[in-house]
Amino acid sequence: MRKKFGLSLAAGILLFAGLLGLQPAQPAAEVVLSFDHFYDNAAIGKALQDLRAAYPQLLTVQSIGKSVLGRDIWAAILNSPKTGPAERKPGYYIDGNIHGNEIQGGEVALYTVYYLLKNYGKTEFATQLLDRIVFYVVPSMNPDSRDFFINKAADPNSPRTGWVPIDDDRDGRLDEDPPEDLDGDGSITMMRKRDPLGRMKTSPDDPRLMVPVKPGEKGEWTMLGEEGIDNDGDGMINEDGPGGYDMNRNFGYNWQPEYVQGGAGPYPFAWPETVAVRDFVLAHPNIMGAQSYHNFGGMILRGPGAKNLGDYNPADIRVFEEIAKRGEKIIPGYKYTIVYKDMYTVYGGTIDFMYADLGIFCFSNELDMDPIAEMSPKKEGSEENIMDRINRQENLDEMIFRDNVEMGENFTNWKPYKHPLYGDIEIGGPRKFSSRVPPFFKLAETCHRNAAFSLYHADQMPVVGFENISVKKLDGGIYQVDFMATNAKITPTITGQAVSQKLHRPDRIIVGGKNATLLAVGEMRDRYLNQTSPVKTLKNAFDVIGGVPGRGRREYRMLVKGSGSITLTFDSLKGGFAEKTIDLN
Amino acid sequence: MNRNRRFAILSLSIFLAGGLAVFGQAPAAKAAAYRNPAEIGAAMKALAGKYPALARLETIGKSAGGREIPILRLAGGGKVEGRPAVLVSANLEGGHVIGTEAALRLAEKLLAGYAQDKKIAALLDARTIYIAPLLNPDGTEAFFGAVKTGRFGNGRPVDEDADGAVDEDGFEDLNKDGKITQMRVKDPEGRWIPDPKEPRLMRLADSKKGEKGIYKIYSEGIDNDGDREYNEDPAGGVLPNRNFPHDFEYLVKTAGLYPASEPESVALLKFMDGHQEIALVLNFSSENTILNQQQTAQAKAGGDKVRVPKDLAQYVGLDPEKDYTLKEVADAANAAGLGGGMTITEDMIASFLGSGPAVQIDQADQPVFEAAAKDYKDALKAAKMEGLEKHARGVGKGSFVAYAYYQFGVPVFSTDLWQIPEAKKEEPADKITADKLKDMTNDQFLALGEEKIGAFLKDAGAPPNMTAKVIMEAVKAGKLKTAQMADMMAQMPKKPGADGEDHPDAYKLQWSDTALKGAGFAAWTPFKHPQLGDVEIGGFCPCLGLNPPAAEMDAPISAHVDFYLKLMGNLPVLEISGLKAEFLGGDLYKVTAYFSNAGKWPTSTGQGRRARTAWPIRVELGLDKAQTLFSGQPTETIPVINSGETTKLEWTIRAKKGSKVTVKAWAPKLGTVQSTVVMD
Repeated sequence: MRKKFGLSLAAGILLFAGLLGLQPAQPAAEVVLSFDHFYDNAAIGKALQDLRAAYPQLLTVQSIGKSVLGRDIWAAILNSPKTGPAERKPGYYIDGNIHGNEIQGGEVALYTVYYLLKNYGKTEFATQLLDRIVFYVVPSMNPDSRDFFINKAADPNSPRTGWVPIDDDRDGRLDEDPPEDLDGDGSITMMRKRDPLGRMKTSPDDPRLMVPVKPGEKGEWTMLGEEGIDNDGDGMINEDGPGGYDMNRNFGYNWQPEYVQGGAGPYPFAWPETVAVRDFVLAHPNIMGAQSYHNFGGMILRGPGAKNLGDYNPADIRVFEEIAKRGEKIIPGYKYTIVYKDMYTVYGGTIDFMYADLGIFCFSNELDMDPIAEMSPKKEGSEENIMDRINRQENLDEMIFRDNVEMGENFTNWKPYKHPLYGDIEIGGPRKFSSRVPPFFKLAETCHRNAAFSLYHADQMPVVGFENISVKKLDGGIYQVDFMATNAKITPTITGQAVSQKLHRPDRIIVGGKNATLLAVGEMRDRYLNQTSPVKTLKNAFDVIGGVPGRGRREYRMLVKGSGSITLTFDSLKGGFAEKTIDLN
Repeated sequence: MNRNRRFAILSLSIFLAGGLAVFGQAPAAKAAAYRNPAEIGAAMKALAGKYPALARLETIGKSAGGREIPILRLAGGGKVEGRPAVLVSANLEGGHVIGTEAALRLAEKLLAGYAQDKKIAALLDARTIYIAPLLNPDGTEAFFGAVKTGRFGNGRPVDEDADGAVDEDGFEDLNKDGKITQMRVKDPEGRWIPDPKEPRLMRLADSKKGEKGIYKIYSEGIDNDGDREYNEDPAGGVLPNRNFPHDFEYLVKTAGLYPASEPESVALLKFMDGHQEIALVLNFSSENTILNQQQTAQAKAGGDKVRVPKDLAQYVGLDPEKDYTLKEVADAANAAGLGGGMTITEDMIASFLGSGPAVQIDQADQPVFEAAAKDYKDALKAAKMEGLEKHARGVGKGSFVAYAYYQFGVPVFSTDLWQIPEAKKEEPADKITADKLKDMTNDQFLALGEEKIGAFLKDAGAPPNMTAKVIMEAVKAGKLKTAQMADMMAQMPKKPGADGEDHPDAYKLQWSDTALKGAGFAAWTPFKHPQLGDVEIGGFCPCLGLNPPAAEMDAPISAHVDFYLKLMGNLPVLEISGLKAEFLGGDLYKVTAYFSNAGKWPTSTGQGRRARTAWPIRVELGLDKAQTLFSGQPTETIPVINSGETTKLEWTIRAKKGSKVTVKAWAPKLGTVQSTVVMD
């Protein structure tokens, strides 16, 4: 396993280096971005502006709104103008970092933009992709917490929230008791106090670790919790920090109030960030596929987040599954997971809103797996006792990783401190980048593999063509025109959800041309017996109810009155546009 | 604007034909007329201007169509901030204009009464009353429109038929009678027939009774977009009173794309969220939740018990095959130290296990609602309005009232003020029915006489050759028994117009005929439809039944305004009913505080506690620098105090003789009370 890890890392670095090295023609202002560090919100904005200056034809950058504290929420739109306007192409949407501490989605999203721009016109894949699909990318949905996490003292799990002050402890004061970085190491670590009645004792294998005391044994340490003081004198420490909610529970589909779904807020879309993202997505109804990055654990998630409103449409599930299974190969170790079934219940998440209300195939990748777990393969299938799990060898492996691989960057050794309430204590423990975000040397691989997955997904957005066209002249200037509308990709031109719930307009085929009149149209049932089922004929058009399935086709027979040539146009809200001229003679 | 107004007046007076009040123009006059949004706005402005010390006019936002949503804040002397509040909300549905008038009447009564009525003065001095009479101004504007459509959605364009075009196929007033009624067309696939008892009304043909459908029914209009559907995508949009987050109907276009998708509901939700001091909601809408306590969703059997997944169960020492309450699981989790220092609450367990929201009225709250229902029914009886109960509609899915109770967590009462009265049915006592026949002897039957028997046979649909004489002879000759006749009667197909159930809308038609001189129903009249050919246009006026004739609105409004004022008097009142300091020796004192609820209702609802939106009472002990707390907590919480009950809290402190200690108790919906005690 270690060998494979080394190989893929090497391959990743090589590919990344190769990407930078392949520069046949240098544009006037060359942008070089590196993915060995985290970008705060201003850095994301600058990187996007620099890219915009270098690729003005392909890239638009806009602020889709302001966060609670007034930061711009940046969005990038990538469209190839030579192949037509964005609205006529299937759209692919990417966002990241709705949870403030889950920052690496921002880098992955930025990398995706960077990769496309760098390789458009150079590799066949990137060129045809950007010619066909328009990309909408929001690297950081929660810039306030992103910046706090990167630039201020935080711990691996927070701040997750947005920055509207909330009275978490219900004492009439807002955000009055946050954690404090007492030892100034840039992270919120842990406090402990020597205590013969404590429940922990120093681990015999490493003095920095602690193990639980066995019944009857003398204790050594009491854990006091995260670094901080009792700011409001209520006897509790760090009980009311900034914010106190979860924006990924605030979206409109299957939203539930706080007592059912913690963090959901007072009603859907109650905060400026969720409003900005909602409005941005609603403004681009051509979006057909999406990816929303989170951390942690190595999963390719699809909804539904809860089971009370039923599972997704079965035909749509098959599409999700096929794409996700390929994803498991593109990002080894990541597992295709269904939120309500294999994870836990999430009400009001972004991915359910996108799928169920808007008819978008939306995945959510939980980025990164534990690099320490790789050091000692887990025994599969053994029912472990919880206590054994805590004492596991893995904890020692963790210290080896921290000492010898990270070389001390992510661990603060226990040091004495005089606490105003607790007196003599020690402060130490893992730092904010010690888990959930990848170590810097792994960040590029996370970026590339996940970008590759979402670009694969985007590449599977529908492509419609007109094929097998035959024209037969009948009496009275009437022609019988047979054709197939085909879709070469896995994604159908419309989700089953949109069809069954009438979420948006169906696909339409329009007959054009001088003197052309569509008299009747039927869907081919049996070519040999010449049987068609009736299709409602509109004015020189008809709807393709149910869309064109993934890697499928719809066959039609039209009776048209006309002369010369006619045009067939396939007009789909999310499935793209196609046109064909048919000679009647 | 004037021309449309005049046309509106004209069509409205045609509608309210026959001596009913013509639409008034002067907002100041005590007009027997419903006022449109502009007039309501002017009236509210006038009220605020008349009582500047008590009333303030504000706005909570704008509708989808850009209209202001006004609100009056009523508050008497003293500090306003922090005092418990009441919200009186009305007409979220748009067409329930009597609700708007009732809310305004309540405001007027409070403001006018402040100077004269001690109770009202006390109420306004202790509480803030918010009055929002016009919560769906787009819908109300539609109500007053030139053509009555019966639709009161907001101004948001909605592509209801999902064909890409928005609002492209709306209603047309083809016969220019100022209302959108129905069209009936003879059609081989038709399923409707005229009701046998009341042929103006349509009902579905019942094949079991041998009925065959004749008509298809459409709403009045043409097929504008050529898709062979009629009026499937009209203007006006989403119904705000279905757009709130409790039991929201997903994927139903008129409810909105998601809860709080509409500016009207967002405005009201933002207002509620920003005014946590609101302790009571009194609503006017077509929902009468006092008379009809049925809830919209069904609780699962044993809903409050959960099952714990295997590995969690093992860790906390529970049986994965057994059901536990949330509290039991939380207690077990805490005992096992699962939280690692953090207390696991029932909500976390519920969240983790995916348990859903509450769907039934909390047990703790039932006594409050039952007592209110009793008082309300007494008030209705005194006002001779018992008829309200029969057709009372309960809370609606996604409605504001549902959100206010289940999520905002306060007592909520909603009344509809008025229903079309149903005339009592007169059954002739001596009418012969199949049941009566069974119990009759042959002699009793013959004793009825030829005339009665003849009428009975005719009603029963007997064939013409079966005269009374023939039957009587057969019975006399012993050839026919009453029991046999009863069976035969039960088997025979009913003659049209025979003894059968009334059409459910028959009582409405009857009222329209008598009280409105027929103006509530348009008689079926032939019309040549451009697409459907020969049709007949007719049916109920779409606004029928929402509001009484304007001249009749006073009595229901009066009775309900008084009842709502009475309800406001039931609010809990937090008091520090006792505070003492007992010298223990040395420099030790025991401080004991007693907290009571002098109001009629508990300090919070059970649902509010479950939803955690009704905060517990927070008690703070205020010590000075020289005092120290020996035992007890500096802050304590009291989850609830029921009416007339007292809770005691104790502290032992070290303090100097003569020093003072303050005890403060506070909750957002109760305000603050404070008391000081001297150590001596």
